[in-house]
Amino acid sequence: MRFRLKSLVFFWAILTFLVSLAGPVEAMPPVQRSVLANGIVLLSAEEHSLPFVTVEFLIHAGATRDPSGQEGLASMTARALLFGTKTRSMNVINEQLDFMGAALSADAGRDYAVISLRVLTKDLVKGFALLMEVLEQPIFPGSEIQKEVTRTLAAIRSGEDDPGEVAEKEFIKALYGKGPYAHPVVGVKESVEKLSAESVKEFHRRFYGPANAIFVIVGDVDPALLASEIAPRLAKWQGGASTPATIDVSYERGSKRVTVDRALTQSNLVLGHEGITRGNPDYYAVTVMNYILGGGGLTARLMEEIRDKRGLAYSVFSHFAAGKHEGSFQIILQTKNASAREAARLATAEMERMREKPVSEAELGGARKYLVGSFPLRLTTQGAIASFLMQVEYLKLGLDYVDRYPGIIQNVTAQDVQRVARAYLHPDRLIVVVVGNLKEAGFE
Amino acid sequence: MIRRAMNATLCLFLLAAWVSTAASQGLRQQVLETSLSNGLKVILLENHKAPVVTFQVWYRVGARNEQYTKTGLSHVLEHMMFKGTKKVGPGEFARIVQENGGQDNAFTSSDYTAYFENLSSDRIDVALELESDRMRNLVLRDEDFQTERSVVIEERRLRTDDNPKAVLMEQLEAIAFQIHPYRWPVIGWMQDLTRLTLDDLKQHYQRFYHPGNAFLVVVGDFKREELLPRIERYFGGTPKGVPPDQMVPQEAPQQGERRVSLHKEAQLASVVMGYHVPNLPHPDAYVLEVVAALLSAGESSRLQMNLVRAKELALVAGADNALVSKDPNLFTIAADALPGKDAAEVEKAINIEVERLQEEMVGERELEKVKNSLESGFIYSQDSFFAQAMLLAQHEIVSSWRAVDEYVPSVRKVKAEDVQRVARQYLVPENRTVAVLVPKVTGKGAPQPPGPALPERVIR
Repeated sequence: MRFRLKSLVFFWAILTFLVSLAGPVEAMPPVQRSVLANGIVLLSAEEHSLPFVTVEFLIHAGATRDPSGQEGLASMTARALLFGTKTRSMNVINEQLDFMGAALSADAGRDYAVISLRVLTKDLVKGFALLMEVLEQPIFPGSEIQKEVTRTLAAIRSGEDDPGEVAEKEFIKALYGKGPYAHPVVGVKESVEKLSAESVKEFHRRFYGPANAIFVIVGDVDPALLASEIAPRLAKWQGGASTPATIDVSYERGSKRVTVDRALTQSNLVLGHEGITRGNPDYYAVTVMNYILGGGGLTARLMEEIRDKRGLAYSVFSHFAAGKHEGSFQIILQTKNASAREAARLATAEMERMREKPVSEAELGGARKYLVGSFPLRLTTQGAIASFLMQVEYLKLGLDYVDRYPGIIQNVTAQDVQRVARAYLHPDRLIVVVVGNLKEAGFE
Repeated sequence: MIRRAMNATLCLFLLAAWVSTAASQGLRQQVLETSLSNGLKVILLENHKAPVVTFQVWYRVGARNEQYTKTGLSHVLEHMMFKGTKKVGPGEFARIVQENGGQDNAFTSSDYTAYFENLSSDRIDVALELESDRMRNLVLRDEDFQTERSVVIEERRLRTDDNPKAVLMEQLEAIAFQIHPYRWPVIGWMQDLTRLTLDDLKQHYQRFYHPGNAFLVVVGDFKREELLPRIERYFGGTPKGVPPDQMVPQEAPQQGERRVSLHKEAQLASVVMGYHVPNLPHPDAYVLEVVAALLSAGESSRLQMNLVRAKELALVAGADNALVSKDPNLFTIAADALPGKDAAEVEKAINIEVERLQEEMVGERELEKVKNSLESGFIYSQDSFFAQAMLLAQHEIVSSWRAVDEYVPSVRKVKAEDVQRVARQYLVPENRTVAVLVPKVTGKGAPQPPGPALPERVIR
């Protein structure tokens, strides 16, 4: 049964936090970690209240590996894993998965690819065998790759109908220039057109390998089965000699404005600049600072000034995307064209205020309490636990991370918040993207 | 939280003992339904797998309870519910919840308006206090209303006006229904939003927000014998209220196909068809679940195999059944055309799939496959407390939360003959409305010029 969410109108829903990893000891089932002979890190957490299992398998084959001119190759390769193997056609794979009521999917992000499996406990052995088969023996048929190229080009075009997506793409392009983060993960029209079965095969041969891959299995998994079948089978995977990518993420500094004229009733604004890495010791102070600025949902300053006081927007928030490599800082909002300039001015003013004045004790306390107290809410489903463990391992936070987190957050002071605001908010050199009716918005 | 599993075996044993009872029972054996002294219905489901709880208040009011020219009222009132009471100042609600490590939100549909707090189990009183307070003590100030109206208008622009497919769906419903309030959008028509008054809100609140028109759903890590007295303490004193008349004019049978086309800036043509179908508790509603799954559940489904892959007509295609709708609603089939394909071709291909359902008996393995998909999807959805609560509540809105237990057995009972009969009865041209999005790519502010039609080599 699917929820008919399309018919619902949600009140403001998104509390935007970074990789939000925190909380008390009881919030999650115990975790086992081991490293297999071929370099795969295996993480498992048992929780048996429902008869199914969730797997997330991270492989270092993300979009930063895309060769120049073939942007979108990592994404295409991941999706094409499911297009058939030496022994099973795509149709057979799909039919068998659906017959089990299982979901197997593969896709790439910027830094890595993930193969995901959700399967009933009774079919775990079969589902896992299928996952290994598509990983080790994909045949990448040319005809299916060509069809996927067609669909990807159509999806890129369809994305032009989503003003938020258009604005985000323009922002990323403006921020990262020509670097490995500059292109959309699915690629662009010119590069996707060039993708072929040959390039997909080559990408798979080079970058799909076990070294430092992360296999997370959560849910109704029998430890005996894990030890006797799953771990040994994983350890047999050889594949390419790929290791985590070391890339140099560069970005553009300085004020810049990008405008896209569309017949829209709202202007979609993105204001921002470069952000920080997840490994930056200031990450936690930045988390607290951003919560107060625009990450804390209805309680954040941006929400208060732009939505609650003036009714200029339904949604406005700020976000630091902090990953292994340097991410971005963005303020995202939509407002009627006539208010675009005012909203942009208000957002910038909040960045300045954060730099100029220390936050109040009430604001600081509220942020700390939320960040520490809400942790258990984020680990209530198999999928959430699996993603969390994958991130903990990928970012090398250590399995004691969650025990340390509350203390780290509690130690953030108002002075820290102001210091990181000064260091990492740059209202004087913003990239401003406007997608909307530029004449009405006064951005022509 | 994360630590080596020194005692994993023991935990496993204990959990297994609990689960084997839980999994073999339906929700009827696990849920406690009771009523407070003032009649407020309470639905409790204990689930101790995580130390959290979702607390939800569901009001039996949505767009179906509105009047023409006052559309969007229920949703605007939902927004105003965050603007404070005599005790809680404007903007305080979210601050209090968040300072307790909680998340709160609300949503409105045609049939209901629901409010929830997700919290650590030890903070549930925060939700009890805030929700019982705003059930009766909301303060509606004109100043807040004027600002919030602007927010909702921005919300409408964001969700609908600048989203071609949302406008298409709005058009479909506006044409498919002529009498029933499902003909207007939950968020309301723009003109109505600009004309609503504070008095409208006050009347709506008085009429629909009280124990006689609401129920509570709590799912998660609590002990019912400890929680119930606290619920009684917070909510029991609220005056009962008069249950409002929930009758709305019902749609007359459709007597011929209706069509609407929407000319709007868009990259791809799009089609959506809506057929009037029965809702729960009509047994055919479950057959239609199977029909929807045959068409679009999974990569091996018929629309995916034929429209998307074999014929390469559509970028995406799907079918959706309105199972848990208060009044009979629409079964929809929708698809976005690939560039270079027009809506007519896509529509024709959809009709071929519908006719196949009517003419060919579905094979045994395929029928078994979609039932497996529906059952596993049902099991997966139980993983989230929030989703569990929502499932119980949506069924309660329509008939009873007990109907949740009927879902899997009812789907399992569906026979090939039922699929054919239902397809022949409901999925017929006289009973359908077709809405077509015709991309308009000229004029100022048009989207980027579309690239040339895709080269032949990739069309196949």
